[in-house]
Amino acid sequence: MSLATLTKPWAAFSYGFLDASAKRELRRKMLKAIAVPGCQMPYASREVPMARGWGTGGLQVTLTLLKPTSRVKVIDQGADDSVNAASIRKFLHRVSGATETWDTLDATIIQSRHRVPEERLRDDQILVLQVPNPEPLRPVEPNMSTARQMHADADYGRLWLVLYEQIVRSGRVMQGAAYPSLVNGRHVMTPSPIPRWDVPKLNMARHLTFLSAGREKRLYAVPPFTRVEPLAFSDVPYKVEDHGNLTCSRSGVTGFFMNEIPQEDGSAVHELSDSHLGIKAIRRAEGEAAPIGATWYQNGEFRA
Amino acid sequence: MTLHATPVPDAAETRANATFEALMWALSRPGTVQPLPEPGHGAIAEALVDRECRAFTDDPALAPRLAAFGAALVSPVHADHAFVSLARPAGVASFAQLPAGSALYPDEGATVVAEARFGTGQRLRLTGPGIETTAEITVDGIDPGLWAARAARCRYPEGIDLFLTCGAAVIGLPRSTRIEVL
Amino acid sequence: MAYVATRGGERAIEQSERLFRAELGRIDANRVAQIRNALPWLIDRVMGEASLYDRDLAALALAQTGGDLYEAVLVLRAWRTTQPRLAIAEPVTQERLFTHRRISAAFKDIPGGQILGPTLDYSHRMLATDVLEGRPFDPAPVTPAVRPAPAQQPSLAAWQKAQGLVADPPRADVAPDAIPDLTREPLLFPASRAHTLQSLARADTGGVLALGYSAMRGYGSAHPTVNELRLAEADLRVRHPRGTVFSAGRVRVSQAEVTSKGRNGQLELGFCATLGWNEVKTIAGATLDLNAPGAAKNAATDPEFFLYHTEPVEASGFCIHFKLPHYVTFQSALDALRGAKAASPAKEEVPA
Repeated sequence: MSLATLTKPWAAFSYGFLDASAKRELRRKMLKAIAVPGCQMPYASREVPMARGWGTGGLQVTLTLLKPTSRVKVIDQGADDSVNAASIRKFLHRVSGATETWDTLDATIIQSRHRVPEERLRDDQILVLQVPNPEPLRPVEPNMSTARQMHADADYGRLWLVLYEQIVRSGRVMQGAAYPSLVNGRHVMTPSPIPRWDVPKLNMARHLTFLSAGREKRLYAVPPFTRVEPLAFSDVPYKVEDHGNLTCSRSGVTGFFMNEIPQEDGSAVHELSDSHLGIKAIRRAEGEAAPIGATWYQNGEFRA
Repeated sequence: MTLHATPVPDAAETRANATFEALMWALSRPGTVQPLPEPGHGAIAEALVDRECRAFTDDPALAPRLAAFGAALVSPVHADHAFVSLARPAGVASFAQLPAGSALYPDEGATVVAEARFGTGQRLRLTGPGIETTAEITVDGIDPGLWAARAARCRYPEGIDLFLTCGAAVIGLPRSTRIEVL
Repeated sequence: MAYVATRGGERAIEQSERLFRAELGRIDANRVAQIRNALPWLIDRVMGEASLYDRDLAALALAQTGGDLYEAVLVLRAWRTTQPRLAIAEPVTQERLFTHRRISAAFKDIPGGQILGPTLDYSHRMLATDVLEGRPFDPAPVTPAVRPAPAQQPSLAAWQKAQGLVADPPRADVAPDAIPDLTREPLLFPASRAHTLQSLARADTGGVLALGYSAMRGYGSAHPTVNELRLAEADLRVRHPRGTVFSAGRVRVSQAEVTSKGRNGQLELGFCATLGWNEVKTIAGATLDLNAPGAAKNAATDPEFFLYHTEPVEASGFCIHFKLPHYVTFQSALDALRGAKAASPAKEEVPA
């Protein structure tokens, strides 16, 4: 036996950047995450060539899944050409040879920050959500050890109290994005800072969702056909953003989540947040073949 | 700063990637049969197990491979991964001793891989995450005592996650699945 | 149409990186060597926070990032994490360190002696502006001591233990590859001793200083006395697969042991060590360690608090991530705000 038997031929980096041992750890934790939906699984979270907080958790999950035939879409705030999305997509391609795509229908893996695409995801697609803070209890309990105990005890009373206080004070729930939701009737998770508009898309969905926080070293999952219920009182129902009647000033499409663009004259216009859906709508209007898939919302209403 | 050539996965990476994909979908859709790149438990061990793991096996052929991947070979009580025959009560007895994690750390529940035959034998009805309504499977080559032993250890979110293989096919039964023996 | 035309993101990021790199100019082996040789203390600090001991790579990281410390540490960490673990070195004990500098504030003199070694502690911090006026600075030659200090020194705590002043912490014999490894396992609380010390070893110098300083100023319960501070070189002894133990070279290490006035008739010790020579970090880190037992939850001296918040890659990454667009979350919050406002228009018109 020699020292050489302990190692292997030198390579600048492994396929998919992460080395085999990092991938195995992620695989083990991803399986546990599927087995206990919505429960945060701690993982080592290796450093990757991107700053923490910039999608390193999602990146590690995606890198573990990637193979040369993968087709990967990356969005930030719904947009494929957002600077950080472009940077992540380029990196994924460079380290794996996977094909880059902007089209939700074409993608096998969709890594996203803050949005779920408007087109329904299929049962062969994986959504990887980047998570800045995986702990839904943090606003009521910053100490992670205490929060973990609260999850173990299914002790979510303080979260409910916060929602109740908001209703008393403001007449409505004031939680914007990252709406805490009960998964499989047991664990409350944060769906990552997606708007309330997107949370119903995770409930009893056909696709598999991984949520991964690299900096905080936690990952969790929502398997297909799993209940995801936003915390709400029976007499104050869950409300998504009031965007159902807004129209995109660029594509003319109505009934989806919009970006509001302030104008110099004091008014505002709107544009589709799901930027590639907008591109396809424009192309179709111009007579090009640009298939648009079934959408979760129709005429501004969510259809289960 | 820059990378020059597009990397190509080697055979081990390709095998591990495909194996994991099968396991992932199997666990995500309990009861569906997913294709493994090769039969046997070696590739599953290779995709999941290394020096960070403690493994139990009653398969004398697999034990040296697990050790070569770096896993410590331990008794069922300490194992995070078990490659075990569940055809006989002895296997079920080992299964029953595996860690099921805790409410604080459900991830410490073990992963079990066992051989079975699909499409014949005991009918099972499955409900839970990953299943739209209910699913039914028939499996043979499993001691009937397993299902009660599994139910006793799966006190959600605690529990043991089970993969059954039949040649190069795999079915996943996560702890979240309720199994009704028909 | 603007939508279709936008591939602006990809062009913009490429050009912005070029702009950054253009200012740094060409990077070659010579520049890397100059950085390595001219800035050893900076190199040490970076190697410690990166937990990667390689001066050339640290110098390269500094060259490549133009000296942005957090970027340099991130580049090194990302490189490090892909490297295979070839072997686990034999334990290094204090007695075996080749000591360059060794200070105790607890006693006037200690067994083995006080060794000042290289330091600016007693220098007058005056800027050598002459250099800019064409008069180079040449360091004065060092006059060797008549009796050179022995290279290896006993540990002061060993003497204190023999005196019954310090409790001998319980020793656990752990197989080398069973030592918890922070780079392969998540940090969970209560943290193992190994994870705590590893986490401090790679912590952000500035972060550890800030929190350690708060403990020193009285936000911690124990006031530190430097029991022993060392700058040293450690012989890296590795076992060959055939069984022989050989030296794979030396690494510079620093360590600080601080003590309180003691409780229940015994002194308590706080400890921190890191790769490279970094006195501020080890003294501040040891102070946090000293104050950790019994610290109130969420205090700066609570290990969960100080270990999470002094992780340089995580803290700096999260801080700069706020530059990323957050307009979806903002839009969502705006919707809730407008909804609440619409529901109670009367509130706004209440006369003063």
